[in-house]
Amino acid sequence: MNRSKDLDTIAPDDDVISQSVAKATQEPPLKKKDTKTEIKIEKPSVENLTQKIYHILGHTKSPFSSFLVRPKVLKFTEQDDEEEIFLAARPHFITNISWICLAIIMLFVPLFFKYFSFLDIFPAQYQFTLRLFWYLFTFMYAFENFLSWYFDVFLVTDERVVDIEFNNLLNKHFAEADLSKIQDVSSSVRGVLGTFLNYGNVLIQTASETNQITFENVPNPEKIIKLIEELRDLEKQKGETKND
Amino acid sequence: MINFLTDNNLNSYFFGVTKFFFIICSVLYLVFALIVIKQVSSMSKSVKDKFNTILIIFSYLHLAFSIFLILTTIGL
Repeated sequence: MNRSKDLDTIAPDDDVISQSVAKATQEPPLKKKDTKTEIKIEKPSVENLTQKIYHILGHTKSPFSSFLVRPKVLKFTEQDDEEEIFLAARPHFITNISWICLAIIMLFVPLFFKYFSFLDIFPAQYQFTLRLFWYLFTFMYAFENFLSWYFDVFLVTDERVVDIEFNNLLNKHFAEADLSKIQDVSSSVRGVLGTFLNYGNVLIQTASETNQITFENVPNPEKIIKLIEELRDLEKQKGETKND
Repeated sequence: MINFLTDNNLNSYFFGVTKFFFIICSVLYLVFALIVIKQVSSMSKSVKDKFNTILIIFSYLHLAFSIFLILTTIGL
């Protein structure tokens, strides 16, 4: 015979008993409150993460920038539907300076054609074709180099680290590593320009098939390392909570 | 033999060879321009970005100029 129930029915005004019964009946709604608070905690954590990313990386707007934080337009073929790009980095723009200078010099070379006497033996139409060919070749040289830079992209997403590279317009190189499989991240800044403009290589050691991924000549290597470490820790925490 | 080596013959022979060389080069350049178009479009598919359309337009312009180059060399 349950005594508390009896007493409650006999003397319902008794404070102690009525409180205990009330507590017993209130237990299930408390659990509901817990789930609500769990959901409430998750939502700000995503916002916190984005704020943290902006805090680490700063904001960049220009699409030609070598350091794009959360680019909205940029996407890649192997990207999952819900995968978000946190950082897209290209080699620092200053690395293009050598081919830009050479292209400018090449652009002015036809102006000196008149000083080459051996070209005088050709009729004007031949000289025009030669100039046209030269300008096209110069354009192609610059365009090819620009494409190699523009499509040489390093991405840090919420799931993995991706390196997409095109060599000589004909070879595509794609390497990726899950954030959870990243073992070690290191960076190296070399040379006068690298030190002044703060760009260098980021080396990522992984436990996946691709042992090593290198981001070459990327701006702010220390920020990239910080971001990767932050995301890796978050991924580990996620994994641990799933296991629990 | 002596007639063959006259100045006019030598000139026409020299310019003929030059023209042939120009045509070969421009045809090779056209092939290269076609490869560039193919490559730019595959790059654009691989990495989608805001300025991909501009780059594709540039590659087609380059093809147009390379066709113009062939026409110019044939017309020499």
